Amino acid sequence: MSGLSISALHAAHGHTTVLRDLELRVPNGALACVLGPSGCGKSTLLRIIAGFHRPASGTVTVGGRTLNDDHTQVPAERRRIGCVPQDGALFPHLSVAANVGFGLPRAERRERVAEMLDLVGLNGLADRHPHQLSGGQQQRIALARALAPRPELLLLDEPFAALDAALRAELRTEVATTLRRAGATAVLVTHDVDEALAFADLIAVMRDGRIVQCDAPHALYHRPADTGVARTLGEANLVPAKLAADHAITAFGELPLTDGASDTDEDAVVLLRPHQLRLSTTSGPHTVEARVVNSGFRGHDYRLELAPDPRHELATPLIAYTPADAPPPTGETLHIAAHGTVHPLAPDQVPPDQVPNSATA
Amino acid sequence: MSVVPRSVRRIMAVLASAAASSLVLTACGSGSTASGSGGGSLKGQSITLYSGQHQQTVATLVKDFQSRTGIEVNVRSGDEAELANQILQEGPASPADVFFAENPPALTTLEEKGLLAKVGSSTLAAVPSGDSSAKGDWVGVSAREAVLAYNNGKLSAAQAPASVKDLASAAWKGKLGIAPSETDFAPIVTRMIKSDGEAATKSWLAGLKANGKVYDSNEDLVAAINRGEVEGGLIDHYYWYRLRDEQGASGIHSALAYFKPGDPGSLVDVSGAGILAKSKHQAAAQAFLTYLTSKPAQTIIATSHSYEYPLAAGVQNTKVSRPLKDAGAVVPASDLGDGKQALQLLQSVGLLS
Amino acid sequence: MLPLAAGLVALLVACPLVFLGLQAGQSGWATAARLLRRPLIGTLLWHTVSLTVMVTAATLVLGFGAAYLVERADIPARRAWTVALAMPLAVPEFVHGYCWVSLFPSVQGYWGAVLVMTSSLYPLVFLPVAATLRRSDAAAEEVARSLGHGRWATLWRVTLPQTRPALAGGALLVSLYLLGEYGAFAMLRFTTFATAIYTEYETAFDTESASVLTLVLVALALLVVCLDARAARRGRVVREGGTARPCAPQPLGRWKALATAALASVTAVTLGVPVYALVYWTARGNSSTLPSTSILSATAATLGYALAAATLATAAAVPVALYAWRRATRLARAVERAVFLTRALPGIAVALAVVFFAIRYAPAAYQQPPMLVVGYAVLFFPLALTAVRASLAQVPHGVEDAARSLGVRPLAVLARVTLPLILPGLGAAFAMVALTASTELTATLLLRPTGTETLATQFWAYTTDLSWGAAAPYAAVMTALSIPAVVLLTRRTLGTPRTPKGVR
Repeated sequence: MSGLSISALHAAHGHTTVLRDLELRVPNGALACVLGPSGCGKSTLLRIIAGFHRPASGTVTVGGRTLNDDHTQVPAERRRIGCVPQDGALFPHLSVAANVGFGLPRAERRERVAEMLDLVGLNGLADRHPHQLSGGQQQRIALARALAPRPELLLLDEPFAALDAALRAELRTEVATTLRRAGATAVLVTHDVDEALAFADLIAVMRDGRIVQCDAPHALYHRPADTGVARTLGEANLVPAKLAADHAITAFGELPLTDGASDTDEDAVVLLRPHQLRLSTTSGPHTVEARVVNSGFRGHDYRLELAPDPRHELATPLIAYTPADAPPPTGETLHIAAHGTVHPLAPDQVPPDQVPNSATA
Repeated sequence: MSVVPRSVRRIMAVLASAAASSLVLTACGSGSTASGSGGGSLKGQSITLYSGQHQQTVATLVKDFQSRTGIEVNVRSGDEAELANQILQEGPASPADVFFAENPPALTTLEEKGLLAKVGSSTLAAVPSGDSSAKGDWVGVSAREAVLAYNNGKLSAAQAPASVKDLASAAWKGKLGIAPSETDFAPIVTRMIKSDGEAATKSWLAGLKANGKVYDSNEDLVAAINRGEVEGGLIDHYYWYRLRDEQGASGIHSALAYFKPGDPGSLVDVSGAGILAKSKHQAAAQAFLTYLTSKPAQTIIATSHSYEYPLAAGVQNTKVSRPLKDAGAVVPASDLGDGKQALQLLQSVGLLS
Repeated sequence: MLPLAAGLVALLVACPLVFLGLQAGQSGWATAARLLRRPLIGTLLWHTVSLTVMVTAATLVLGFGAAYLVERADIPARRAWTVALAMPLAVPEFVHGYCWVSLFPSVQGYWGAVLVMTSSLYPLVFLPVAATLRRSDAAAEEVARSLGHGRWATLWRVTLPQTRPALAGGALLVSLYLLGEYGAFAMLRFTTFATAIYTEYETAFDTESASVLTLVLVALALLVVCLDARAARRGRVVREGGTARPCAPQPLGRWKALATAALASVTAVTLGVPVYALVYWTARGNSSTLPSTSILSATAATLGYALAAATLATAAAVPVALYAWRRATRLARAVERAVFLTRALPGIAVALAVVFFAIRYAPAAYQQPPMLVVGYAVLFFPLALTAVRASLAQVPHGVEDAARSLGVRPLAVLARVTLPLILPGLGAAFAMVALTASTELTATLLLRPTGTETLATQFWAYTTDLSWGAAAPYAAVMTALSIPAVVLLTRRTLGTPRTPKGVR
């Protein structure tokens, strides 16, 4: 198979286990994103794929070539995997052209450097040195440098984190377009969900050293595997429910299940995204009464935090978004209705070796 | 920037004493005509000499020896103590064939470790027997005499003490200079222990310590006496002569006084040479020692800038005001041993660390 | 590869410590106890400790003060002052010592030693501090001012802490140097613990006892190294990105004249005195009938050995510094720190260790030129390591990984990325070792090939025979040879003055 394939990967820093039994597959030509909080091991994963860190066990293959298994550890320089680190890591002593041409054979250098500078739109800067570039320019050059030797796989480690918000949004779209145009397979690591959603064809959510779910952004948003993934992808209202054949019975009435059917479990938690909640001043058949606790203006809408009537036994607060033209004042009591489909969530899975000792003893 | 040893300490002392004049080193007299020992079959051989002795004098001696015998001598000049330590570390693999030391303790140390070969009997016979090792492991080549140098602006010749023991008396409080870390100092202590016993020597040393200002080297001390920093001090005679060369007669404000013959302070200290037991050039090395005690070599020593006494009969150092025989009977060098007892005494009173 | 190379170098540099351990091990506890109970030992230990503390403190004050004035104040001719303030490094310490004692005989004892050692060692603090001040960002000091701190409070609470790693590094070199120093103190009639060690070597010919005493120095050095590690850790400056904005010089107003006068008097004391004495010597020494070929060959030998030693020591420092920089493990740091211990050893101990190992394990090289070069490299390795380490700390992490991911082999990465980036550090290391090796004497006497004379050994040969007139040119040539090295060192350490970039 082509693309990136990782299985049964374990890794440690000294005595600390960082990755456990990690599985990940990225098809050829896909832009994948590893999303997770800092400290979850996503940078280590990237460093293992790049060949900078040696895993304890497991296999890594790229384009059908085995890069890591029990017998193999292909050195970084023979992996044909490009890297764009967070700070760009441009060579400070070399010009932009020399940076981009660093990984190229001498004969190809001139032509390919010009091509790559064109690709990132910086062909006027060939003779500059890194310290004469802005942060965004530095990252573009780092990208051009990494793409120049036509790597089979490109790794990006929070490449936009050091940039300001506007530039970050602009650059990530631009980089995604550039990578698609170049037909590259890429893995981007980030803790920023907006970045992941905007960039990736495929998002792998990582927690405690393993990939908990890997799917297309849309699927992941609507069908998260567990409450943790649900929260990672965006704000989530977790509502207790009783599941029936094709619907869930909640405080908001019967709501259809996203996937149609379920294993009629007794009790469950279902996901209601904030935009699925509608607010009204009047009560209806399946509305929940709630008081506005906090409201924040976000330009295109308001974000409300609501305290539901305690008899519904709902978690506080409920989050809802409401159009900007009619902000309800804080303290007002509203009635909430839910619409759309709901998705039942499994509770967060705790890895067996992270269960506190008292439980296993 | 380097960590500097006693060798540099000497440089500094010398430099410090030399601020007022300059000196041109003249080549040592080399007009001797007498033939040295034959070396016909040894011609073309080469030996390595570790020399802690006066460099220019050794260079003149080596040149003369080479022209007489055809034996090449590679000279490694250095501080005698450092060279002795080097030989000790080198052990049996030492490239040295001959070690030429300034004072007996270095040679005696090597002798005690069994590192020296016997010197040929004819060579030993060329100098008075008391000036060589009793076991015949090294031969005396030249000598220097312990004296009292005094500032003649502050002290007259008549006031100079007859015995080194007087220096511990209250009369010398604050006026005395000593350099106890010099290798020349311990032999006086050794003799005092032999003549007066350890307890008396210890109280004498305590007296010196109470009276004296401690200098790091003889060069330092003689310069301090000359400029009047202290009134007098114990040195080897040649330091004063070298200072006189250095300062010129007009810069000299000091003179030498001698302790009475037989006094522990009236000490003749020998500079000798020995052959390494593991040397692969025993014959050539023996030839070199034979040469050192021969008349031509002794004449070079007698006329050189080093101001040492030659030891061979019939050769006199005319540049030094008092002949060696005036010092009286010389205590055999081997009686002085390796000086360990004296050293421990010096350390116990705190004159040495 | 790298751990192996670093390990080998560390092993080689640790040779003297192994030698001391072996020798001291033969003497036993009873002897050790007897040695350490001697009446003078305690006094000498106190001398060493009190002098080390005092001189280190004085060099910190002087080095920081001078660096602050040339980097932060509107003193006229700041570049010229910088070179002048670094220049005492070019004067061998026995020249420093001689000049003072010959011109001012009363300069002796504790305070004499403090004066002379401070004026010859303060550039070891001045240079790294000036380099740090030059590189540091103006923002921190400006923020302090905006928070209502005056100039003095800013200096004390912001500028000074920023230079803490540089101060710690300089203090480390100064204090280790003082622990093992002997000759310069002997001249100033000040005895230290090293005196006791030399007594054992040179009066008692007792290597074992000398080694026991030397281990006491090693223990002191260990203490110094640990203190330094703590100080440097607490003051580690973390700043990402290489685009610091240089600080504008502070107008001193009416204090300007006073500050300039202070710099002038420091230079007069630390540089003027030796230069005066050298000129005096050379003028007095023209009566000597020195064969000019001998000074030429001694100069050639000195240069050859100093350059070879500088090359070797710098090359050897690279794997150790790289290893510690890449790994940053406890072990790597420990190895890196351990090599500093040799800096506190008396030269004779290091030289005898080289003799001991060379004649046993490399008899073919014994007393051959490579042995002297290796000896110098062992002696001065810490100087090279300090410089290489400092410049590696400036290299952004990740560039090596980025280079390898572009398909470039590790050795090529070293050649094309890492080494070019630490070139200033390599230059500083090279200059520092060359400078120091060209005036070395003890090890030279013990390790040189028989018959080889360097400027230092010739100088020693003449001066021990009181022929100081003949010796004068050797001292002058030694000092003159050191000047380019000091200029190089100054340039390499400080870098060329930067112009504000980006915002223009």
